[in-house]
Amino acid sequence: MREFGKYVQAVTERAAEEAQQAGATTIEAEHLLLAMADEEGDGRRLLGSVGLDLQAVRDALETEFRQSLTAAGITFETDSLPGASAAPGKPSRLGTSGKLVIERSMLAVGNKKKAQPAHLLLGVLELNVGTVPRALDLAGVDRAELKARVRELLGDE
Amino acid sequence: MSGVEIPTPQNPADGLAAVVALRRLADRLEDAAVEQAMRGDWTWSEVAEALGITRQAVHKKHARRLIAAGVDLPRRR
Repeated sequence: MREFGKYVQAVTERAAEEAQQAGATTIEAEHLLLAMADEEGDGRRLLGSVGLDLQAVRDALETEFRQSLTAAGITFETDSLPGASAAPGKPSRLGTSGKLVIERSMLAVGNKKKAQPAHLLLGVLELNVGTVPRALDLAGVDRAELKARVRELLGDE
Repeated sequence: MSGVEIPTPQNPADGLAAVVALRRLADRLEDAAVEQAMRGDWTWSEVAEALGITRQAVHKKHARRLIAAGVDLPRRR
């Protein structure tokens, strides 16, 4: 549990930087995913095992953004999309999707004392709709298979 | 930017994702446009009027960011 707490704190701090760069005022699921791809630990190893390093996650999120705009009839030439302006300060609060990741990972733990860092990634993988699962799908990640890998590492069934 | 015709999204997931993406795009456009205006000779009141929101709201949302970006802001106009 202590290790989990430390990991969540480290990832959240790293995620706050990502959120700030993106101009967000709260830390969302996508920022947690980016942070996990960068922060030393099981999350990074597991994501790496399916080809997702930090840059690959960034690319996947950007692809999702563009594709969703296309669905609304908006297309941009490469690089002509206005970039995000960084927020003046690092956000300190989790947004709705960020909270959901924590909630889902705690749900996946069952016995609170047995929480491990990889449970945070499981929390992200328990999101079924929205930006993050769409980005993972676009990156060609088999979410169910990755989830199974995480559970295997955690020693679940 | 091209493509003014708005297709009907094929399923709810795409439709909802489009909403999220458009909001994010609108935020980015607002940030860029407000910064451009304030780097020019616009006042907070004019920007607020153009956006159809109060001066206080524009100030609250953008002042800190613009100061951090080194924009020379009018004190009170």
